[in-house]
Order: sequence, then C-alpha cells, then structure tokens
Amino acid sequence: MTTEAYLQRAGEILAPFAKGTNNPESNRLDVQIAASDLPAAASALTDASWGYLAAITGMDHGAEANELEALYHFCEGSAVTTLRVRLPRVDCPEIPSVSGMIPVASFFERELGEMLGVTVVDTPDASRLFLPDDWPDRVYPLRQGFKPEQAASIQPNKTPEPSKAGNKFIVPIGPQHPALKEPGHFEFTVDGEIITGARMRLGYVHRGIEKATEERNWIQNLYLLERICGICSHTHTSAYSQGVEKLAQVEVPHRALAIRELVAGLERIHSHLLWLGVVAHEAGFDTLFMYSWRDRETVMNLLEELTGNRVNYSICVLGGVKHDIVAEHSASIHKALDFLEERIRYYLDIVTSDTTFLQRTRGVGTMTHAEAIRFGALGPTARASGVTRDIRLDAPYGAYKRFPVSLITDERGDLEARFVVRMKELLVTCFTIRTIVDNMPSGEIAVRFPRKIPAGETVSRVEAPRGEAFYYIKSGGGESPLRLHIRTPSLCNWTSVINKAVGHQLADAPMLIAGMDPCFSCNDRMVTVRRKDDMKTLSWSELREYGIKKYGQKK
Amino acid sequence: MNISQNYVDQIIQKISTWARVNSPWAIHFNSGSCNGCDIEILATLTPHYDVERFGIKLRGSPRHADVLICTGPVTRQARDRLMRIYEQMPEPKFVIAVGSCGISGGVFQGCYNVEGHIDEVLPVDAFIPGCPPRPEAIIDGVIKLLTHIQNGTRPALVIKPGIKEAV
Repeated sequence: MTTEAYLQRAGEILAPFAKGTNNPESNRLDVQIAASDLPAAASALTDASWGYLAAITGMDHGAEANELEALYHFCEGSAVTTLRVRLPRVDCPEIPSVSGMIPVASFFERELGEMLGVTVVDTPDASRLFLPDDWPDRVYPLRQGFKPEQAASIQPNKTPEPSKAGNKFIVPIGPQHPALKEPGHFEFTVDGEIITGARMRLGYVHRGIEKATEERNWIQNLYLLERICGICSHTHTSAYSQGVEKLAQVEVPHRALAIRELVAGLERIHSHLLWLGVVAHEAGFDTLFMYSWRDRETVMNLLEELTGNRVNYSICVLGGVKHDIVAEHSASIHKALDFLEERIRYYLDIVTSDTTFLQRTRGVGTMTHAEAIRFGALGPTARASGVTRDIRLDAPYGAYKRFPVSLITDERGDLEARFVVRMKELLVTCFTIRTIVDNMPSGEIAVRFPRKIPAGETVSRVEAPRGEAFYYIKSGGGESPLRLHIRTPSLCNWTSVINKAVGHQLADAPMLIAGMDPCFSCNDRMVTVRRKDDMKTLSWSELREYGIKKYGQKK
Repeated sequence: MNISQNYVDQIIQKISTWARVNSPWAIHFNSGSCNGCDIEILATLTPHYDVERFGIKLRGSPRHADVLICTGPVTRQARDRLMRIYEQMPEPKFVIAVGSCGISGGVFQGCYNVEGHIDEVLPVDAFIPGCPPRPEAIIDGVIKLLTHIQNGTRPALVIKPGIKEAV
C-alpha cells in the first residue's frame, strides 16, 4: 500500500472519533479526538493492525492558550497518524490509559505523567521513570514556565521506601552498570530460580535534554543532541538535521546525504561489534569480547580518518555535512571493509556453531512474531522475530532511496537469531558502504542554512543501530525550538525484556538484558537478594559467574 | 638484630606503594554521561590499547578498587550512588574524572537534572579533558596519576565546602 492509501485507511478507521482532521505534511494525518475516545480510537487502530504506537509527545501550549496536548503518533510505513488530545492546563488533567492494548505505552505514559503532570487513569505503573526519587511532587519540568535554575532551589522530596513484595523474593539489579547509556534499575521477582515478574526504573542519567533544547538555538542543539548517546551519536544528529531541514524547506545536496548514510553505516558496524563483545562477555566468552573489540578499532580508525573524531563525529551540520569523502578515503575504506567482512563472517560462524555459546543463546528469550509486534519491539530485536520493520526501507530517508539496504530477518526469535540478524546486517552494511564509495554523487556537501526556522512541526524518523529513533520537532519561527521530543529505540525494547524475562531462570537475566538491549556495556552492578530478614549481596560479576557456572555444570 | 620500628614502616610503605603503582584496580561509574567516554574507557582496556599491561584492571566492586574513574556530569539521581561508591572504596583512594562533562558539566550545563561536575561532589585527583578523550589521553592521565603516587607527590586536593560532610 502507498502512503496515501495508508493515511486514507487510517482516516476511515478514525472517522467515528474524529473532531477534526488535518494533513500537515504529505505523509502525516492529524486527528483531533476527545480524551474519552482515546482508548476506543487506539484500539480501533490496533484491531485493524494499522501501524504501531511510536511515541507519545506531551506539550504545554502555555498560559495564554491554557491548554496541554498529548500527541499519540502511530506509524505504518512512512505514514504517520497522530491522535491529538487536548487537555485543560490544570494541575492533574486526566487522560485514559492505552497500555492495556499497547504494552509499550506504559513507559510513554509514565513519562507523560511526570514531565507534564497529566494523570493517566488506569496506567499499570504510575511511578517515576526519569525524574529522581527526591524530585518534589507537582513540579513538572516540561511545563512552560519551569526554569532549569528552579531545580537547584527545589526542596527535595523524601526518599521512597524500597519496594516490598510480601513473601516473594525481589532481586534488584542496578543502577550501577556504568557503560550503559540508560543505567536502569531492574527488580526481578523470583520464585526459587524462576523469574516471575520484573519492573524497571530509569533516570540515572536523565539530564533534561528535551528542556535544554528549548533554551539553545538550532545550531547549538546539534551538538547537545549528539551527546544523547556516544554510541549512536550520528543517528541523533541526522534525525535532528533531517527534521529541521524539512521545516526550513532546505534541499540538502545528494552528496551530503550519501556521506551521512556512509557514516551511519560505519556507526552501525562499530555499534554491533561493540554489542557482540559485551554480550559475549556476559556469557563468559571473553575471547570473543576481546576479538570483537580489537576489530572494532578498524572502524574507529576509519571514522577518525573521515571525520576527525572517534566517537562524537559531528559530521552532520544543518544543510549538509562537514567533511567531504575524497579519493584517498575510498581506498582506506575498501581496505578496512575487506578485513571487517572476513572477521564478521568468522563471528557469524562462531555464534552459530560454538556449542558452549549456543547453550546460552539457542531457545533463550524466544519472542514470537506476534509478541514482538504486541510489545512494540524495534530494530534487530524485532527483525530477529520475523518482523519486517526497518525505517531505512519502510520510509526511506536521506540517500536510502538511492542506496537501499536489504532487509535481514530471522524467524526464530531467540537470542541466537538476534546474533545472526546483527551479523548479517553488518555484511549488508559493508556492501552498501562500498556501493556508496564507488558511486558517490558529485556536487556540494552543504548549503547555506537560515538561523531562524519557519513555524511548523514535523516528525523525523531514522533507523539507529538499535531500531527506530523518533523525533518530533516544533518550531515557533524563532531561533530555538518550541518543543523537541525524542523517543529512542531502547525505550521500546525494554518492554520486551521486562515481559520476556518472566519464566526464565535468574541465571539467564544478564544475557536476556544484554541480548535484547544492545546498548549495554560493562559489568559493575550490585545485586541485592532481599529476603524477609537477612540480606545477601551479589555483585554483577558474581551473578555473571553464577550464570556461567550453572551452564558449565550442564555440559 | 637491631631494626627500628621506623625502618620497618618505611619498608612496608615502599612495598605498598610499589604494589599500588603496579596494579591499580579501577572501578568505573557513569553518573550521567552520554556513553562516549565509557566506550573509550572500555576500548582502552581491550587489546588495541591494552591498559592491562600497566596492571590496571576494571573491577566490579568498589571494595576491590583503588581508583574511581568517573564519567559524565552528576545527575540528581546518580549523586547519591556516586558518593556511596566512593565511600565503599578502601583508603587510599583516587578519583579520575574523564571527559569534558566530568570537568565542567560540558554541554549539559544548566540542565535541570544536572547537579554539576564531579569536582563538586568528590575530590578529584586527575582530570582528563576531551569529548570524549582519546584512549591515548586516558592512558596518559592514568600514568600521570601513577607517577604522582609513586613519587608521593599527590597533588594537593581542592576540597570544596560541603564535600567533606558529604563524603
């Protein structure tokens, strides 16, 4: 189906609830609905299998309009349907929950509640996700009028009591796992060896970037957003630039788009190799960890040669890219890829044939196709369960129309399948990079860009190494954005971790977390096994050892 | 044999400094970093840069560690955790702040959930600038700290008001 057909279909499904519709862009449909109709409208879309919930953006229109707004973005292919719900700007306006039919919405609703002070009725978990425990009640950082300086003078709230679970054992993991982008705190409820429940708490590295973008100008934001994540920094700058360029109606030269895709490809290689090493480490396979990180240096050197930096490459500027790729570069790219392709084939062989390793991955954490769709999984995690969801193909952006990638999926849905999908994806990426280098379009690498961006709003989606990154950008015509909302892929993938951990052994927990969310690096966590009276503390490495030993005995 | 207690103490001191300089075990904590510094620290430990040749090992428990490697600005939620890790480390302990954010707050200055830089929470012995610093820079910073420990010339710490009570 074409984008128009998708939008038309969405319009038909939502017609009974619509209070007004609008087509702000050719691929978008805005539908105004009343708060009370929200669950019915969301379930109408879900029942008709129209797309998935990509994000919930909360907005405050300020004291003058005296309104809050919640935007429910549903995506199918390149079509985006937004359910817009207006709410009165009072302390706790109420909105019904949609988590019942869309489990991933639970995270979005927690965010909406704490950031804008919206009470989501019947949401399964209304506790804090991002804001610190000592954050005072009734202070909402994304409301207009909240100033960051205010935070310093806020009287801290009392520290909450640790959770209790009656006679069940709760195993808290985290938050100290330092190399992870989102240090999360997990609580696994266990019955003996078996995990019976799981919940999580984020926010240890929550800095308040969305609010900060409103105080910086369009160009400063580029450098701020690059530092959302050091692993997929290019994803964030390209998603942001792409959205802002759309708002400014600036045509970016083809050469610049091709260079962006090339760097995105290199970033994918470094990210997947990094992940391979980390998961191998969690499984006790340190040789593979060291091997993959050694080979990753090849990509890092290449990125440094092309962009001047190893990690935050800053290749994107608004209106193009900063550095050109010249003839000398192409020789070193080809040489590096020769080496990497050989190594990746070797790793593909290892992860599908090493008996010890397969014991930790085959049949572990299996997620069926239907579950992956229900949990809203994204990226390689979803593709390993046979979900054909890849923004580079569904909604080709940048140069992906000119230099397409091939879709890699696997039907098995277990940890092994995720390894296979990621390794095969790397081979495809290598091929695409070669094609780009050999067929680089000629022309400029950047065009002039205005300081002020015309008023408007847009949605920008790119495929990060971990799945779809979703940006909602709203400009008021000034030098800085009115609202910028970011939804990173890991947030969606956590839902599947939380749900799939149930029924597994505690010893599998490290691999499950690491395998589903690749944005997971080093060890170093404390695990407290809490019983009624006594307390036993295991470090993350001890838990890891436990897992390794347990599987060692099986052989 | 007529060996004074003082002499024995000196010998023990020498041996412990020798051991400390040749096997500094580190713990790493991210108190709000973007992950850029963290992956560079890991890269420093892996075969290409191989910091283990200096006896440096990353430990999972603060109880085993001599050096606390911090990255990122300090967020409100992570502040308490950071101080708890520092408290749990045995004396003598050293703190290295890696990256621009750890030094000044970096791009995250003024964000509502950022309390400040590491220097405001813990006494820092060495700062390694960069966004993120290259692995070579990290090695250089660590070696500089080790040289100071060896010579017994630990740089005078600037203890800001409020830190003492906190830690």
